[in-house]
Amino acid sequence: MKKTLIFSFVALFLISACNSLDEDPKAFISSATFYKTTEDADAAVIAIHNAINSSTHTLYNRLIQISTEMATDDYEAGPRARNAHVRALSNLTHDASNDRMIELWRQSYDGINRANVAIDNISKNPNLNSQKDKDLINEAKFLRAVLYFNIVRWFGDVPLVLHETTVLNSEAINVSNTPEAEVYTQIEKDLIDAEALPVVQQNKGRITSGAAKSILAKVYLTEKKWQKAAEKSKEVIDSKVYDLFENYADVFNVATKNGKEHIFSAQFKGLTNWNGNMLASTAAPTSVPGIAGDQADALHKEGGLFEAFAETDRRKYITFAVEFVSPTDGKTYKVTPHFNKYFDPATPTSPGQSSKNTPIIRFAEVLLIYAEALNEQNSGPTAEAYAAIDRVRTRAGIPLLSETSPALSQDDFREAVFEERRKELVYEYQRWFDLARRGPDYFVAKLKAAGKTNAQPKHVHFPIPQRELDLNPNLKQVPAWRK
Amino acid sequence: MKIRFPVALYYLKHKVMNKQLHAFLWLFAFLISVGINAQNTKPLINSTLNGTVVDQVSNQPIPGVTVQIKGTTHAAVTDLDGKFYFQTGQIFPYTLVVSYMGYITAEHIATKDFVQISLKEDVKELNEIVIIGYGSTSKKDYTGAAETVAQMSLKATQKTLESSLQGSVAGVNVTQTSGQPGAGMSIRIRGGSSIQGGNEPLYVIDGFPLYNSEVTSGVLSGTPTNPLSTINPSDIESITVLKDASSTAIYGSRGANGVVIITTKKGSNNATTVNYDFTIGQQSVRKKVDVLDAQGFSKLRNAALFDSNPAGGPNQYLTDAQIAQLGKGTDWQDAAFQKGLTQNHQLSVSGGNNQTKYAVSGNYYNQEGIIKNTGFERFSGRVNLNSKISSKARFGLNLTVAETKSKVAPTGLVTALLSMPPTATIYEPDGSYTLRNPFENIFANPIATLNERKNQSITDRILGTVYGEYDILKNLVLKVSFGTDMIFNKEKSFLPSSIYEGSITNGEGKIGNAESRSWLNENTLTYTTVFGEKHHLNALAGYTQQSSTREFNTSGSQQYVNDITSYYSLQSGNVALMPTSGESTWALNSYLTRVNYNYDSKYFLTGSLRADGSSRFGKDNKWGYFPSVAAAWQISNESFFTPVKDVINSLKIRTSWGATGNQEIGEYQSLSTLTSVKYLFGDQIYTGFTPTRISNNNLGWELTNQFDAGVDVGFFNDKLNVTIDVYRKTTKDLLLDVQLPYTTGFTSSLQNFGSVQNQGIEFGLNASLGNTAFSWTSNFNIAFNQNKIIALGNGAEFYTFGNYILKVGQSLGTFYGAVTDGILQTDEVATKGVYTGNATPKAGDRLYKDINGDGAFTTAADRTSIGDAQPDFVFGFSNNFTYRGFELAILVNGSVGNKILNGNLQALELYNGQQNASTSALDAWTPTNPSNTTPRAKLDPAPVFSNRFVEDGSFVRVKNIALSYNLPKKLSEKLSLTSVKFRVIGENLLTWTKYTGYDPEVTNGTTISPGTDTGIYPASKTISGGLIVTF
Repeated sequence: MKKTLIFSFVALFLISACNSLDEDPKAFISSATFYKTTEDADAAVIAIHNAINSSTHTLYNRLIQISTEMATDDYEAGPRARNAHVRALSNLTHDASNDRMIELWRQSYDGINRANVAIDNISKNPNLNSQKDKDLINEAKFLRAVLYFNIVRWFGDVPLVLHETTVLNSEAINVSNTPEAEVYTQIEKDLIDAEALPVVQQNKGRITSGAAKSILAKVYLTEKKWQKAAEKSKEVIDSKVYDLFENYADVFNVATKNGKEHIFSAQFKGLTNWNGNMLASTAAPTSVPGIAGDQADALHKEGGLFEAFAETDRRKYITFAVEFVSPTDGKTYKVTPHFNKYFDPATPTSPGQSSKNTPIIRFAEVLLIYAEALNEQNSGPTAEAYAAIDRVRTRAGIPLLSETSPALSQDDFREAVFEERRKELVYEYQRWFDLARRGPDYFVAKLKAAGKTNAQPKHVHFPIPQRELDLNPNLKQVPAWRK
Repeated sequence: MKIRFPVALYYLKHKVMNKQLHAFLWLFAFLISVGINAQNTKPLINSTLNGTVVDQVSNQPIPGVTVQIKGTTHAAVTDLDGKFYFQTGQIFPYTLVVSYMGYITAEHIATKDFVQISLKEDVKELNEIVIIGYGSTSKKDYTGAAETVAQMSLKATQKTLESSLQGSVAGVNVTQTSGQPGAGMSIRIRGGSSIQGGNEPLYVIDGFPLYNSEVTSGVLSGTPTNPLSTINPSDIESITVLKDASSTAIYGSRGANGVVIITTKKGSNNATTVNYDFTIGQQSVRKKVDVLDAQGFSKLRNAALFDSNPAGGPNQYLTDAQIAQLGKGTDWQDAAFQKGLTQNHQLSVSGGNNQTKYAVSGNYYNQEGIIKNTGFERFSGRVNLNSKISSKARFGLNLTVAETKSKVAPTGLVTALLSMPPTATIYEPDGSYTLRNPFENIFANPIATLNERKNQSITDRILGTVYGEYDILKNLVLKVSFGTDMIFNKEKSFLPSSIYEGSITNGEGKIGNAESRSWLNENTLTYTTVFGEKHHLNALAGYTQQSSTREFNTSGSQQYVNDITSYYSLQSGNVALMPTSGESTWALNSYLTRVNYNYDSKYFLTGSLRADGSSRFGKDNKWGYFPSVAAAWQISNESFFTPVKDVINSLKIRTSWGATGNQEIGEYQSLSTLTSVKYLFGDQIYTGFTPTRISNNNLGWELTNQFDAGVDVGFFNDKLNVTIDVYRKTTKDLLLDVQLPYTTGFTSSLQNFGSVQNQGIEFGLNASLGNTAFSWTSNFNIAFNQNKIIALGNGAEFYTFGNYILKVGQSLGTFYGAVTDGILQTDEVATKGVYTGNATPKAGDRLYKDINGDGAFTTAADRTSIGDAQPDFVFGFSNNFTYRGFELAILVNGSVGNKILNGNLQALELYNGQQNASTSALDAWTPTNPSNTTPRAKLDPAPVFSNRFVEDGSFVRVKNIALSYNLPKKLSEKLSLTSVKFRVIGENLLTWTKYTGYDPEVTNGTTISPGTDTGIYPASKTISGGLIVTF
């Protein structure tokens, strides 16, 4: 009997020592415990930056190049571009199953969701109301606006999602297309809010007021709101915060990164725990010993871009390289024109470790926006319009437009600005946007003139990925791409 | 005094935080409070008895036999001559009970001094006992579907314990995941049912349930070491596989994939036996893959360059004269393969007496891989102890400690061996290594990698259980056990700057540590009784708790001055890699109960219920309930059956139904957790946090309902046994990453959706014939399984994952690709060019079928199901012959109807002249050779996945053939040894298959994409020989 008693004690004793079934992850933070301090809020916003540029083939680390720039008159898939989807884009034979479209869409909405997470969580916490916290919300809005600006130009009527997804109900999953005009309204609203950001940020690469204004000017330009575009770009010019580098090479040199001409750039640093600029390796030659290039982004010769530069144009041999010195044998090797802006002489053997930044918007473009807007607003170029474009041309070392062609018509001046944009902003994720915003006829004409005969009017938009249409019955394909 | 102990312990519990210390203190207290009862009474001598025990067949004396006077505890053990001696207070006549492992226990009435007793060998004794979850029973009383792997299959030396199961049990399909020494095997019991959760069965090793998942920090490249490789297969006594719901439901949320119960060798009440088992052998690659030699490759490259640039002429790589001067070039496979030496040393000591039984063993196993500089080594030791503390209490200990070391072939190595052009040489003229493929497609020189790259792991494991059993009442037994499983894994990697992988960063060294610590506590009460003479009842109730914590950390650096210090001095690198660390924990609390009832051994009924609470599930869904029922009818025990009993000595029909679960979904999947990401501002890196998933409070286990019906028949006094089972398993609430539109910001969400069904029939046959001189035992098993996806959730009809499709109505592992349709000939370019998928079709391109009928071929729209990796049936056939001292054992196994995705062939048929190609390139299309099966050489082909690369993977192979010879007792006695056995073993010697890759036994381990053969370490064949000496 005694023994039985002992054992029942012991048995009870054991059962009381049970495991807890609640999960307490030590290596992960759970959403419920985050977004409490300004540091948390800052981390949430840093995560948005990470969405647009991190490892290889993220949006501003080459993805936009192979997904959109390939489908223009100046670029084509190089010998190392093995992905059949990229080659299809280069040939304009792509369709809704193209995997690059999926990446553009997925990464953009991932970034948008991160922005929504930051904005929602910082806003709803009453303790986060310092100036820094307000700046963080505006920084998130800026990045969200940039992402929406991209996808509305690529896909047209895209779903406008402005709050983080917390529950998987039908409302969250089955979003509908939002008309372009509404999306632009939201973009403008976010950028106007972001104008309240500081004029100068201590950490280079964070968003400034000037960045918000510059992108806003570009948005107005794309929407053909000429007056607003002219006013906004004038604000940036008159603020005197930004200026052109005297030496065009300084726009890309590592030593002058985040300098006076740079308004918003994708940040890179090689040979560290961060990433090198992938555009440097995909433009580098494969035939030069010691340079481990992976040339997948090639110049589309028939477009005539290389020849469009005058020999005296200081930009020509910074934008392109026609010869390389081998780091192993010291000899000089001649090559066909290769894109050269991001090639970092410090890391020739592994070009992908280049520490050069890629500009997303810089002062030269603001000047050209100003010139174009004035021209359209006044049905012809004004003196200020000429002055703006000539600042860019002076820096490039080519004759001033006001001297060579002082009385251009509205159409001719427009062509001159576009040609200047084409030469100034090579390999900066610009060409497709410039061609598409001129309209389908212009787009098709330019591509056919460059020998890309598969171009059709529908190519001013990209098809929404088939996967999204399959998973969400409310989402409709871009009208021109519907069968 | 005895009452105060629990109070004192209660104090201790709240002060001593360490759970394990607390547990062992408790056990110690338990032992003390029970008290050790050692009764010794002085014997009264009334008679003496001398006797001998001999083997009935050979008349040889048997040492170590226990002879007990029936009704007393007085027992003696026979010596080396089979003789025993009693001095006892008993008066003649009295009955002796004579027992010895492997022989039928006999009773003999002793009437005078001197007696000779014959014992008959019982080959089936081991088969009779079935180890089931939380207990054991005899096969005759069992209502479920379970099979024990007979000792004869376990006798041959096996590299890993999973391979002991190959071809041995109906419905158990064991496939090697990689030929890498120390790699694991994938086991499917009655088909795989989980799409994303784990599909491997639960292993229970001496009562410790564990799911075999890799413990790795991620530093190692290639196949991580399989933790089960730390368990020495020679320590295993028997393996029982539980297949149906009635047998597995007792394991509740972990039983859905079946249960493999492993019991290691315990001692016996015999004289001490010492066993030394030594085997040495050699393994070599079973089959090479045919690729081009230097001349063939050069012609291919010429053709590819000519095709892309006709203006350059047909000899843009080498002239015909240069080609003629080339020899065979470099055979990269030959340069990498070697004959690997294997050796196994096993020393075990076992013995005991009526009180205590022990078995201690030590093992050293070394397997050199068939690829240079790869291999596996194991040191392991074991102590198994069982002891009677008193007439009512027993305790036991099973402890194994092992260390394994592996040198692993890095990922991509085998692909490089096949793809490296034969015109490239291993070394440059100056003696340094050729860094990489000299042509545009970049991959590293594989021989340089094998020689110089360090890629190693060391694993230490401690696995032990200790238990105490106490007979509270005569029929009520309390068993309490504690167990621990600790795995420590260290991985080391170094890429020297002299090889391509290290040249980019001037060397890279990395070290990773990963550890897993689990502990287990099980408490059960078992009650056995007979009432009304014919009613037998056995009831079990219990409570178990188990918990496991994993941690890992990695560190590394790059930019070394030289390669001398390798990974031993990470601080010598100039650039530090970001260190990483992580942690995860899971816990499981369970209540279980089972009742077995039978009436007169004719009608059997079993019911069980287990409630599992798992930390892995969402907070609204932590507990699951898993019931089962089973019934059986032993028809042969009925009175009406007696006339037939000479022929059919046993006929039992049984049926069962039950629910089991699968909780292998990883930890923290229901929580919305944030992960860290980085960004660079200016010159400094900053950390951000972003959500990884949306929370799911309802996340639960996968539920499998299984119905089974079977019949067991024994003919001619069990000389022939037949077992047939039919079953249907329906798994629902499948854990699936349900795809979400990207507009939500996420790609997928883990939900319980979807359902899969497996149904099939298993057939097993055992036969044994024999007489004194010659015996033959045979086992044949075959299983047919049909696997079908019933639903995918969210109304989805299908999901595609790369080259696989999950489609409702089809099976898991279905390949999804284009269908080939010949080659485009010169005159067909205008008409059929649209079916090539090329924007500019050219003669020599491959043609594909237009599946959706839209008039052209595109990879997006014209893919379809092109076969699946599920076998139609799997079988095993083993035969054991003995003749005098010789024994021959042959195991043949096979799988029929499964297809394999030959990923290596995909790479080898690019025909791009930048990497090597298969010999099929010799037939490439040219205008003068208008082949209709092989396309032309092309510098830049757009690869299309088609049925060209899906091959029939059916095979039949002689898995194991072993010939052994037992030295006659007279000879072995002269050497003072109990027995000496020589043997020669051949493994994988003969295979019949149509598969053209390295080996048809291949899977890459995941359920969605099984049967893929890309760059997997090739399989080997082995010949070994050795001897087993028993002292």
